[in-house]
Amino acid sequence: MRTKKALLLAAIMSLLVLTAAPAAQAATPYEAYTYNYYSDAVALPAPFLPERIVDGASLGVGDFKLPNDLYIAKDGTVYILDGGNNRIIVTDANWNLVRIIEGFDNNGTRDGFGNPNGIFVSDNGKIYIADTDRRRVVVLDGDGSLVKIVENPQSEVLPDNFEFVPLKVTADRAERIFVVARGVYEGIMQFNDTGEFLGYVGTIKVQPSLADRIWRWLATEAQESQMVLFIPTEFSSVDIDHKGFVYATNIDTGSSETIKRLNPLGQDVIKRFGHYPNVGDIRYRTVGSDSGPSKLTDIKYIGDGMYTVLDSNRARIFTYNDEGELLYAFGGRGTQLGMFNTPVAVEWQNGKLVVLDRGKNNIVIFKPTRFGRLVHEATSLQYNGKTSEAVALWKEVLRLNANYDIAYLGIGKSMLMAKENKEAMEYFKLGMSRKYYSLAFKRYRREVMQEHFGAFMTTAVVMIAAFAAFRIARRVRPGRSAGHEA
Amino acid sequence: MRHEWIKFPFHILFHPFDGFWDLKYENRGRVSVAMVILLLLVVATSLMKQFSGFLVNYYDPRYLNTLDDLMFTVLPFILFCVANWSVTTLMEGEGKFREIVIATAYALLPMILINIPLTFISRFLTNEETAFYWMLNSFGALWFLWLLFVGNMTIHQYTVTKAVVTLLLTVAAMGIIVFLGALALVICMDMYWFVYDIYRELIFR
Repeated sequence: MRTKKALLLAAIMSLLVLTAAPAAQAATPYEAYTYNYYSDAVALPAPFLPERIVDGASLGVGDFKLPNDLYIAKDGTVYILDGGNNRIIVTDANWNLVRIIEGFDNNGTRDGFGNPNGIFVSDNGKIYIADTDRRRVVVLDGDGSLVKIVENPQSEVLPDNFEFVPLKVTADRAERIFVVARGVYEGIMQFNDTGEFLGYVGTIKVQPSLADRIWRWLATEAQESQMVLFIPTEFSSVDIDHKGFVYATNIDTGSSETIKRLNPLGQDVIKRFGHYPNVGDIRYRTVGSDSGPSKLTDIKYIGDGMYTVLDSNRARIFTYNDEGELLYAFGGRGTQLGMFNTPVAVEWQNGKLVVLDRGKNNIVIFKPTRFGRLVHEATSLQYNGKTSEAVALWKEVLRLNANYDIAYLGIGKSMLMAKENKEAMEYFKLGMSRKYYSLAFKRYRREVMQEHFGAFMTTAVVMIAAFAAFRIARRVRPGRSAGHEA
Repeated sequence: MRHEWIKFPFHILFHPFDGFWDLKYENRGRVSVAMVILLLLVVATSLMKQFSGFLVNYYDPRYLNTLDDLMFTVLPFILFCVANWSVTTLMEGEGKFREIVIATAYALLPMILINIPLTFISRFLTNEETAFYWMLNSFGALWFLWLLFVGNMTIHQYTVTKAVVTLLLTVAAMGIIVFLGALALVICMDMYWFVYDIYRELIFR
């Protein structure tokens, strides 16, 4: 009877524990995940938690109206492009209002913005604004005075009736300006420091699908002329890294190259070494709500090879490392804190993720959890070649989440460096990297062979001798067996 | 001759024309040996999926299932034999069903003989050397096809062209059998649900 009671009590207790655990995990309204070797989504501990919301009221500047873009400089200064109100709101790293730029002095006359869509601030403090409705890119100094205006580009490659409608903008250290413009399919427009149009970079390849080709093949000439042209999609956003390489996204659904990293020659040099392409979601419904591939509408280079992209289709954030492996994905549509309505820009502010939501007219600041911080730190260390220092962090990551393939790879790489080949093999196997496993195995095999060379040779000699003896014995035997049968 | 039943399959490996002729006219094949070979193939397949080296093992360990291996070896085997018998009966083949079963099973032997040692060797290969693994693997499969072809030709006393055509027709017949089977299954299910629905309607009335 007593044991029965004890068992019952234990059962009730276990029920309590079971129901209590998910309540503690439900702190985030979204689920974080990454994809494993088999392209299955694997749940992660939340890498980031929503910390606070910043909106027009909390800054004391009146509500935002269709804010279009956000830029956070290296020192943490925030530039909010409040498109509907045609103003730029500048705050310091702690989100205290510094000033509002509503216009600038254009050679003696007061000038303003017309529904600007994109903003970028260079390391030396120059503000670049894609002034969409006024068909120009405005460059201002840190104090808001005009530096130059880029408008009306002239070139032989541009058609006569070309209309320059800039949407997103970025610039490198040589003050070359990269502009994503509406209706421009040739690539990203590139201007030099004096505002002269240089040409396009990063043209998107067009690949009509098989179905498209069959239709075209079946169609008559008259029908064909009615069909839409196979034109590449436009770029959707740009950012630049510390080396002056342009990161860009485009909404080319069906392509596995929606994220590009363009070198100064305009070639795409992004690494796609993961088990699956870096395009956001790889598993999704094809019909119904929340279906279709990710639409990447913003990209932010975080540093140390990592970059974050924003999927406007399912309102999710994806962060990749320099190899193109997905570190984590999270987010979603909803009304709770941390969910988005229409996220338009993602930024990085000293270890925190900042997302601008046009639909909610606010900014959500996400602070990293222990897991998120560890992943970022370990990835940074590994990117900078400090693999042995990263090991402790990766082990900690594995303690929080034993299904994190990248951590196994990180530890394995460090083991490989330290010539601990057998352990490295084990970790690469857990991380499902055949390439590195083979490398470690090759070294390990050589090691074993060298160590046991004597044993191998002895075995070989003994086996040859045994075989020879067997042959001789067989040759002798027929006489004997003949005797038996007789 | 001693151990004839074990030596004969090996004889077929290297002398298929001779071997299959003996199988048919000297009655040297055994159904029991054929079944053992089939079983060994199941074992070899399972071993391969479970134990081949990491670099060549692309099987998802979460879905390894020996019963599945058994099913997906034995069922296609039976399917092939039935389809082959159906086709060759119509096409003046001289082979009996028993001979078809034995010849097909004996033809599978190279797959076992190659795959089992290969599973062991694959654990000691680096990425660059896996090419040998795949080469030997396909070699085993090609050998099997060769024996199957020769066996078919011999036991049915066909010409080369006719043997090829029959094998292709056999594949088509396998497809038809699967299709008819699925059809019958679906109809049976529908009938079952029909009766079940009527039953449910009645008890809830």
